[in-house]
Amino acid sequence: MWLLKLAWKNLWRNRSRTLVTQSAIFFAVLLSVTTSSLQDGVFDHFVRNMVSYYSGYIQVHRAGYWEQQTLDNAAVRNKTVESVIANHPDVNALASRIESYALASVDEITKGCVVIGVEPDAEPQITQLNQRVASGRYFEYNDQRSVALLSEGLAKRLQLPVGDTVILISQGYHGAMAAGKYRVIGLVRFGSPELNDQLLYLPLPVAQTFFSAENLVTSYVLSLATDKNLERTAASIHRSIGKKYEVMTWKEMMPEVDQHIQTDKGTMYIISGILYLLIGFGIFGTLLMLMAERKYELGMLVAIGMKKQKLMVVLLVESVLNVVVGCVAGMLASVPLVWYLHVYPIRFSGELAEAYQRFGFEPVFPASTDGWLFIVQGIVVLAMGFLLSLYPLLKVWRLDVVTAMRK
Amino acid sequence: MNMMISMAWRNIWRNKVRSVVIMISIALGLVAGLFIMGLYEGVLNDRLNTVIRQEVAHLQVHHPRFQRDYEAVFCLDSASRLVERIRSLENVQAVSARTVAPGMLATSTGSAGVQILGVVPVDEDAVSGLKQKLIEGEGFKANRHNQVVIGRKLADKVNLRLNSKLVLTFTDIENNLVSAAFRVAGVYQSTNAPLEERLVYLHAVDLNRLMQMEDACHEIAVLLNRDEAMTTAEQQLNRLYPNLLIENWQQLSPETKLMIETTDTYSIIFIVIIMLALMFGIINTMLMAVLERTREIGMLVALGMNKLRLFMLVLWETVILTLTGAPFGLLLSWLLITHLGNSGIDISSISGAAMSGFGFSSLIFPRFPWSSLPLVLYIVCITALLASLVPSFKALRLIPVEAMRQ
Amino acid sequence: MRGNTLQAEMVIRTLRPTWTREMGVKTWMKGGDYAMILITAPAKEKGVAFLKRTKEVWNWVPTLERSIKLPPSMMSQSWMGTDFTNDDLVKESSVVKDYAHTLLGDTLILNRNCFIIQMIPKPEAAVVWGKLRMYVDKENFVEMHVKFYDEDGTLVNVMNSLEIKMMGGRLIPTRVEMIPMDKKNQKTEIIYVNLVFDKPISDSFFTLQQLKNLR
Repeated sequence: MWLLKLAWKNLWRNRSRTLVTQSAIFFAVLLSVTTSSLQDGVFDHFVRNMVSYYSGYIQVHRAGYWEQQTLDNAAVRNKTVESVIANHPDVNALASRIESYALASVDEITKGCVVIGVEPDAEPQITQLNQRVASGRYFEYNDQRSVALLSEGLAKRLQLPVGDTVILISQGYHGAMAAGKYRVIGLVRFGSPELNDQLLYLPLPVAQTFFSAENLVTSYVLSLATDKNLERTAASIHRSIGKKYEVMTWKEMMPEVDQHIQTDKGTMYIISGILYLLIGFGIFGTLLMLMAERKYELGMLVAIGMKKQKLMVVLLVESVLNVVVGCVAGMLASVPLVWYLHVYPIRFSGELAEAYQRFGFEPVFPASTDGWLFIVQGIVVLAMGFLLSLYPLLKVWRLDVVTAMRK
Repeated sequence: MNMMISMAWRNIWRNKVRSVVIMISIALGLVAGLFIMGLYEGVLNDRLNTVIRQEVAHLQVHHPRFQRDYEAVFCLDSASRLVERIRSLENVQAVSARTVAPGMLATSTGSAGVQILGVVPVDEDAVSGLKQKLIEGEGFKANRHNQVVIGRKLADKVNLRLNSKLVLTFTDIENNLVSAAFRVAGVYQSTNAPLEERLVYLHAVDLNRLMQMEDACHEIAVLLNRDEAMTTAEQQLNRLYPNLLIENWQQLSPETKLMIETTDTYSIIFIVIIMLALMFGIINTMLMAVLERTREIGMLVALGMNKLRLFMLVLWETVILTLTGAPFGLLLSWLLITHLGNSGIDISSISGAAMSGFGFSSLIFPRFPWSSLPLVLYIVCITALLASLVPSFKALRLIPVEAMRQ
Repeated sequence: MRGNTLQAEMVIRTLRPTWTREMGVKTWMKGGDYAMILITAPAKEKGVAFLKRTKEVWNWVPTLERSIKLPPSMMSQSWMGTDFTNDDLVKESSVVKDYAHTLLGDTLILNRNCFIIQMIPKPEAAVVWGKLRMYVDKENFVEMHVKFYDEDGTLVNVMNSLEIKMMGGRLIPTRVEMIPMDKKNQKTEIIYVNLVFDKPISDSFFTLQQLKNLR
């Protein structure tokens, strides 16, 4: 018990020394939490941008649709299934779509395009379609009119201004002939030329009529709050709705993007590793100096009879206290810091920002507020601190009284 | 001044442990900073290389109206003369003329929309490395007609193998529908899955004959021998051919440009964090060092050393340590990066993810960041000096009597 | 079965595992180059017409009052949901020109003596098949049965001619079915209701203006 008292007194006796040691730990925690939170935020943001472009986080189709994307493989709308999916705790939003190829024709010009029937109010929750309108207007709520939104590139190829009419011809469900006239009420812009040149949007019920596919959808598109539980969410959704459907994650639908992210994540891990190295060295340096300064004092204690083991315990307790205080203080201080970065994220400007905005992405560097991060980083630094605290113990063990007290 | 330096020098030697710790901190900081920059440069370079040397090349030339709808009639005449002329320009490494036709591929069991490229095999290999991408078959052989090279993704999708027969349908230069049968002479794999599913290669001789285009093509791809020469080459081409559309890889692949700039921006932020970590580490170590030296400093002051001199002493010590630690750090990082740059870092073992066979290599090759070297060096040294200022101030505030009481 | 001209009324039935559709169709054909197809039933598609002139195909949609020229990308799509492609309408891979024929033997089909003819496509022929085996009635040269193989020798499609009757003055199969082998419960049937051979049709019939006025 008196060992504890001794340790405590030691810390108080030399406040500067204690503070310096604790601050080493404090900054270690602060930096690692900030880094971890920024890394997390950046990846989440990137994935969110990628999936809100078109694919959504998860898509549900009738089983077999992905392999053969034809209208004949569309699913019949099922209110029960839809509510099961929408009520899943991880699911943010659900939108239904029906899509297929068609020929768009204006006067003498005929071009192939992709017709997507969307729910005017649900779709923007996943892809922000209403914010991509570059001219004209977006659909109205529950729009049932024969109106269409064209991607800018497609409208240009057809030489079609807002207000004019476009004719669509295609093959509908079960081979029926699909033909219709639609008034262009607006143009939407995508940063990717591929999408910008091909897409044509109709309100869902209007598209279903066009394709003679009443009450059918080719895909349910889901948005999640975060990317972290992607596979687990997909599996649990699949279990609740059964084998007639297939549930695909964005990773399965866009494997190239996933590869890109894996490489980036690998780089991040290396950076984290380097950070820990530096932090660890910072703490170690502090301890090294600490022990050098206390050589005389420790030598004295041993010389007057204190058992080395007891001394080691004292030092251990001091270290533990320092590390714990530093960690806790660091974690507490990092909360407001991360919060601030979350609410006022670092923005970048210039050419990159413009490019981002053209693609419809927000040019920010977001910080994630996942509570788990704080805990993990705190534990890592704690562990590092404890491990490095073994050094003082070692020093005591090998202490030679005579040399120590020599000045 | 001289005395100051020699005192500083002796101080350093007197306390070897402390000095070594500080030197190592500086060296480590350098290694950390340079390594991270090198890592990013390696990744970026790899991606850029892929896009330029396997996909779009540095520059492409088209008839200004061709890319709107890919109508065959908007072609480049006298293609062979154009190619020769461009090939003779400075910095041009390779040129490939391509005939481009959107069409349909049909087999006995299915069909798919494709983009048909008629190429001269030798030229195309030089520009986009088509031959290296082959995973089955040997590609175009001389003295054979109607050979086609398709992507692995496409082959899987419509069930085709080496030597399978397929029929391609497209429109010729007079807008007539043309169909012809071809045999698969090779299957390629690339890192770009969507392209792999769409691009099929024919020999230019076959395609031009079917399209009734003699010495014409739709696209000329130019590969330069240095990335930096792009702007000059572009200007040159624009002067030579003011009526044609000249585009560089940034315009041809805006997503790549976006990705590269993003990576640049991100890396800066993390460098800042690393430098902060370094700074705190050094400050802490030096603070502790000063605390350790209170008695010594008190002694010096008691003996008559003025505060300014003391300050300069600590500062000089740091300078010398930095100057010693830095070269060591530079050497170490150069060795590390060069070694890893040759053997590569295996990402899959780090991120634990399965990199399936997309033709993606899971290796990163860091490159020594010569362009960032001055910046990193500057930051580390400034950090060390600033870090030493804090303890120096602290040293100034010590009262001799108390100090000596320690 | 191609005469100089051919006018026909037929029913095209598309059978799939989960649905069946019937279309009433009238056709006019001249040689292999010109053809007109008019859909007469069901009501939703009544009046839709196709015009083929050599290698080009146009589509007239009455509800839109527009005609559209089909681009090459549509050619490989299935025609009106049947097992025939737009390409089948357009491409007349000539039985004689594109294949090398070998007589394999004979057999009985529906009590008719038939030649078995093996047809291998010539190397330059723009034909997806690896091999065809045709069973032709010895007496009146009706193609009773055709097997379509891919290059590996797998049977991909089968065409059967049934209900041989006299129509339009000739003995012809009035029911033809096309059955894809890799899909279950799927086929397309053509049932001829009426056939008129060699009634002269002028070239000016096969024009876009006529497309809109077809009855």
